[in-house]
Amino acid sequence: MPDAVRIQLEDFSQDEEIRALQATSKRMGGIATFLGCARDFSEGRAVSEISFDAYERMALPEMQTLRSEAIARFALLDARIVHRLGVVRAGDSIVFIAAGAEHRAPALEACRWLIDELKERVPIWKKETTPEGESWVTPHP
Amino acid sequence: MITVLFFGPVAERLGQSRLEVAHQAGMRLQDVRDQLQARYPEAFSLVSLAAVNGQHERDFAVALADHSEVVFMSKFSGG
Repeated sequence: MPDAVRIQLEDFSQDEEIRALQATSKRMGGIATFLGCARDFSEGRAVSEISFDAYERMALPEMQTLRSEAIARFALLDARIVHRLGVVRAGDSIVFIAAGAEHRAPALEACRWLIDELKERVPIWKKETTPEGESWVTPHP
Repeated sequence: MITVLFFGPVAERLGQSRLEVAHQAGMRLQDVRDQLQARYPEAFSLVSLAAVNGQHERDFAVALADHSEVVFMSKFSGG
């Protein structure tokens, strides 16, 4: 099974990630997931694709730290984070987070916390391709 | 030598993703920033974060060892 935290060019399977998470503990009573997708419309413009750049030397360790922090902070049984790089077309998956806990509340809270922290702390940048040209995305909530 | 890397919007505005700065005794992160900001003000107007050797560095007074890897970054937009 691939690592629980990954940055990769290729697409991922949500089912495989959830199966891998579930296999880590039979005490897991709730799994919450977040799937970030490439939208075909942003800031009033059509978007055909999104390309990503990352400082991988910092990004992967930061994502591993986030996973460890989430496990400790929300008493998770396990968590997984996968983020794609390269070029992603509108409608494709970008990022997947899965958090497993004994009960649903910490799983849901951890999932929200993980994606919010990832956006703040992981050095990845995205550029949208529109009919008017390309533009880097400005962070927003 | 200090290796300085750039990514995303900063790299695009700079027109390159890597350059080198001669190391000097007592050199601080702020010194490298000041030096490059004077040469590339447009690119550095986007910079709000820095990393040294793969670690986010908030203290711009930190001393840099020779052969350090420094990154000046704009706000992140992954996810």
